[in-house]
Amino acid sequence: MNSRHKNGNDKAHEEIHSLLALAVAGALSTSEEQQVMSHIASCSECASELEDWRLLVGGLRRLPTPQPRAAVVERARARAQMAMTEETESRRNSRMLVLLVCFAWVVTLASWPIFRMVSGGLLVWFDPRFNQTWLVFAAFTGLLWATGGIAAIFLGRHRQQERRTA
Amino acid sequence: MGLQGEVAQLRHGDLDALSALLTRYQNRLYRYLLRLVRNQAEAEDLFQQTWVRVAEKIRRYDPSRNFEPWLFALARNLAIDHLRRVRPESLDEPIGNGESAETAAARIPSGQRPVTDEILQRERRSRLGQALETLPVSYREVLTLRFEEEMKLEEIAEVMGTPLSTVKTRLRRALGMMKLELESRFPGEDWRGQN
Repeated sequence: MNSRHKNGNDKAHEEIHSLLALAVAGALSTSEEQQVMSHIASCSECASELEDWRLLVGGLRRLPTPQPRAAVVERARARAQMAMTEETESRRNSRMLVLLVCFAWVVTLASWPIFRMVSGGLLVWFDPRFNQTWLVFAAFTGLLWATGGIAAIFLGRHRQQERRTA
Repeated sequence: MGLQGEVAQLRHGDLDALSALLTRYQNRLYRYLLRLVRNQAEAEDLFQQTWVRVAEKIRRYDPSRNFEPWLFALARNLAIDHLRRVRPESLDEPIGNGESAETAAARIPSGQRPVTDEILQRERRSRLGQALETLPVSYREVLTLRFEEEMKLEEIAEVMGTPLSTVKTRLRRALGMMKLELESRFPGEDWRGQN
């Protein structure tokens, strides 16, 4: 006759029994762990079961660690480094683009008073037939094209330089 | 440099830090992926994809969190997506072909233990490995994270994206299923991997 029958506490035994696997997995609260420990002190069945679980878990902990082939590790390293470089370059380009757009707006706004002065004075004197709307259109188109061109040249040179250093 | 230092350096785009982290985690990450997909070629491919994903996402990593669960969660997402695409049935059903247990074990370099001990140990490990392979993916996963990766339950919950209570339930069921599997496969034999 085992200890649980002697104690007449089958329910407690069943409850503790269901906790044994979690006990070896370190997944019990402190109070549950204390319950388990005090129960196994008087229950040989649970003590033996707990030992079985310990051995099973010990075996799992000692399972061999498969290692990746060196070539796979090197390929992973190369691919990850390439991805990282591309990511860095992409972020840098995005920042550069934002800066250039801001620069283009600053140039456009700052040049507006100068453009007004010139179109209202000198250009009218040189050619009185110049229409003001046409001038505005021409000036802004020119500025936009120039800004775009500068941005393209800048990015192209930057990329060339990076490729040379890579 | 410690782990935190390497992660901080990596967040600043340092390629040496990436290399150091890869070296630090290469065996553990590969083992985890192999346990999930049970196929060497697929695990190798996912291993590479994981590090590419690390490189792409490291700037979005919150340094106040642990790096390990973040890394393993990235690998897990890739592996689960892969399994869903290639073998959707494997996400639900236990499969008992045991194909890659031997493949994995065969590639372990042998230690310097006496030959007879080594044979017995290998036999026990092989049995445990075979039984582990038959479990459903979520059970294999929780066992490898807890007992091979030695992760805390909270970290496992973070990797798996599940509540702590689910982790405990899976852990209990996985161990129970593992024991039943061993007892039915090797009745009356010593499968416990005892030294």
